[in-house]
Amino acid sequence: MRAFFVTFLNMLKSWKSWVFVAVTVALFLVPGFVDNNYLVQVLFRIALFAALGLAWNIVGGYAGQLSLGHVAFFGVGAYGYALFSELPSMSKWLALLLAALVSVAMAALIGSIAFRLRGPYFTLATIAFAEVLRLVATNLAVTGGAIGLTVTSLFTGRSFWRSFYFAAVTLAVVTFLVNVWVSRSRFGYYLMAIREDEETAGAVGIDTTSCKLQSLLISAFFTALGGALYASAFQFMIPDSILNIDISIQIAIVTMLGGAGTLLGPVVGAMLLLAASEAFKNQFKESHLLIYGILIVGVVLFLPEGIVGGLRRLLQGGKKGKAKPSVNAPVSIPSAPAGGVA
Amino acid sequence: MNGLLTGALYALIGMGLALIFGVMRIVNFAHGAFLMVGMYATWLLFDLLKINPYIGFVPAGIFLFGFGQLIYLLLIHPLRNRSHFMQILMTAGIGLILVDAAQLIFHADYRQTNLDLVNRNLHLGPFTANAAEVLSFGIAVALVVGLHFYVTRSLTGQALRAIAQNPEVAPLMGINVGRIQGFSFALGTALAGVAGGLLLPRLYLFPSVGEDFTTKAFVMVVLGGMGSMEGAALGGLVLGLAENFTSLYVGNQWALVVDFVLFLVVLSVKPSGIFGRQRA
Repeated sequence: MRAFFVTFLNMLKSWKSWVFVAVTVALFLVPGFVDNNYLVQVLFRIALFAALGLAWNIVGGYAGQLSLGHVAFFGVGAYGYALFSELPSMSKWLALLLAALVSVAMAALIGSIAFRLRGPYFTLATIAFAEVLRLVATNLAVTGGAIGLTVTSLFTGRSFWRSFYFAAVTLAVVTFLVNVWVSRSRFGYYLMAIREDEETAGAVGIDTTSCKLQSLLISAFFTALGGALYASAFQFMIPDSILNIDISIQIAIVTMLGGAGTLLGPVVGAMLLLAASEAFKNQFKESHLLIYGILIVGVVLFLPEGIVGGLRRLLQGGKKGKAKPSVNAPVSIPSAPAGGVA
Repeated sequence: MNGLLTGALYALIGMGLALIFGVMRIVNFAHGAFLMVGMYATWLLFDLLKINPYIGFVPAGIFLFGFGQLIYLLLIHPLRNRSHFMQILMTAGIGLILVDAAQLIFHADYRQTNLDLVNRNLHLGPFTANAAEVLSFGIAVALVVGLHFYVTRSLTGQALRAIAQNPEVAPLMGINVGRIQGFSFALGTALAGVAGGLLLPRLYLFPSVGEDFTTKAFVMVVLGGMGSMEGAALGGLVLGLAENFTSLYVGNQWALVVDFVLFLVVLSVKPSGIFGRQRA
């Protein structure tokens, strides 16, 4: 915790932190200029997916573990919030926190099994866990089965979407700060070492299993908050929508498109992807995931480091002499989702 | 009995995935989508040319073979030296494109082929079985057995197994790894397509019909040991039986849950699979 604040205070010395503060303030002022509920709703989803992408980035980007089961944490957050908030004399905010904690417990369970596996096996195990949850939610009475649940909204009133936008931006900003801390802390360097070469990381004394698990717990906490926010904004959910593997893929793609393992990547990815899918929604109707597919294929083929990662390499290439040796120079390590350390 | 009939088709799907994984070390997330393409191809032949699906699966399989070859050349081959991470994303992306393109072209309508065969039952001693299912079982078993002999006996089959065993040494033995990998990707795709064609008379057809099969194929392949085709075939049979018993004794809706529980148990207890060799 102390380390967190020390890094944070150190940040205040740099110009980047002032840009960050300015952008944050600007983000909170945006709805003042937008008088269109639909647009605010789109902005809400962009902020939400930026937060989800940033949360995923800790596991998928810095630790390099391709989880395609994050919808499990998202869904547990959503269901947890829906069920806890129904309890008598339960505050909505407490329900939100409890849901996130349940999701962290779930992550501990999933992680303790899935992290015994590597590479494609790990990915498959995360998917399997998420699918088990979806099927269980479809078949249990508590979760309303396939019919689903209605969800108490966190906010009500005329500024409905505006409030949700603020909540999502807050979540994104906090998750961003956690990413900043990860990218500069000893813990974060451990994660990146694991990403580059897990055997070597273990050999130099890093407890790889514990580090990976911790990164998953942090990630699950924020993913669950995002899920709860999502469910409470749309006020209704069924297992096939809230626990759909498509959400896992979207979260991963948002991050990969922008650049996994970079700070700004998930934010850039969320803006681009959601804007694009919104723009093409009318053309493609129910096929709006087509644009996701095309973007995935394009990014994997031509921009393996994502937009932010690619840009950084371009800039660093321009001033070769000065560029400090990147921890994960993408050329030399083909096995890693390359990206910079921001 | 029914489990066995389904199991043979599962075996076909699982073998395709195992082939691709064994030879290329790529986890193919588009496998169910290929199966869906096979179903639509067979359905189109049925709808436009009135070709019976039990014949139509052959041209559909051939079409899928070419399709797989094309996808390999354009999208998979460029990634041969990249991380699993990227390869998984690529196949997931291909799957998304295929499913949503099908959505765009054929819309989300449910489609069906009405064959007389589906309503006819065969009585074999104490068992009663659906004629269509018996027919697809026969075709699937023939294909599985044929494939087994092809892989173990033929020159190409030996090259396939050589690459699966050691991708570094295989090229030193004069094997054209790129060509063989393209061939096996196409063959795996074709197998998914054939299985799709054989499933068509018994299932409703819609764009995301393949999704369950992608995950099921993973279960089979993990059960049988990643990369082992015989293992995948056995995994398919086990899965078919397990699903059938679950829906019989516990309830239909839990059949898929059993799949995944089986999957997670095997993954965490013995990741090399029940029938698999231990791999370093």
